[in-house]
Amino acid sequence: MEMRKSIKKRRIGIIITLLSLIGIVLIFEYCKIAEWNMFFMVTEIVLFIIFLASFVATFIKTGLWGFIHKPLTSLDEREIVLTGKSLRYAYSIFTVATLALLLYFAVTNTPIDMVLVVSLILFAHILPAVYIAWTEKEIYQDA
Amino acid sequence: MESRKIYNRIAILRKEKSLTRHELADKVGVNFQTIGYLEREEYNPSLDLAFRISKVFELPIDLIFSIEPLTPLSQLLTKK
Repeated sequence: MEMRKSIKKRRIGIIITLLSLIGIVLIFEYCKIAEWNMFFMVTEIVLFIIFLASFVATFIKTGLWGFIHKPLTSLDEREIVLTGKSLRYAYSIFTVATLALLLYFAVTNTPIDMVLVVSLILFAHILPAVYIAWTEKEIYQDA
Repeated sequence: MESRKIYNRIAILRKEKSLTRHELADKVGVNFQTIGYLEREEYNPSLDLAFRISKVFELPIDLIFSIEPLTPLSQLLTKK
């Protein structure tokens, strides 16, 4: 059985995943300055659930996560080119995003938190799959 | 350097041989999605893959692939 997800749905999934990840970090950073209260705690948990759900729907169920982690020997020539391209773009985007964030934290003299570090690592890890999900016309999963 | 677009007759030859994309993909050793990309001329195959495809169709490479838009095979035959 093959599962197919349209490019539009995939892009919406990517946007939801990334926005929820950014939301988690922003609320955490805000609550460092202000105080944690019930509203922020509930929002943080809801965002985490949204992140997990959209991540599973966009990357796991479409087979993208499995594709990105396949050994090179099991990929054909087009897939090797695609993987290389996705890693190249992911590296560039991650470098620019991380440098901009580090600059902001340095200028504002704000300490860097573990939540931000974990989010950045997660961001770096999902970026190649994001590139493929965003650009590829066909993504099938043999289930 | 941007590579040139390579036109091909894979779709028509595959249908003529009554092969599915999966079957052709298995014969040439690629993922079936790659056959779709080749048929839509959205991916230029390597020389190795082009040779494997020409072996499956038992035709010379220049009859399957071209750097110029291809005319239908039937038209070529009637010209001769």
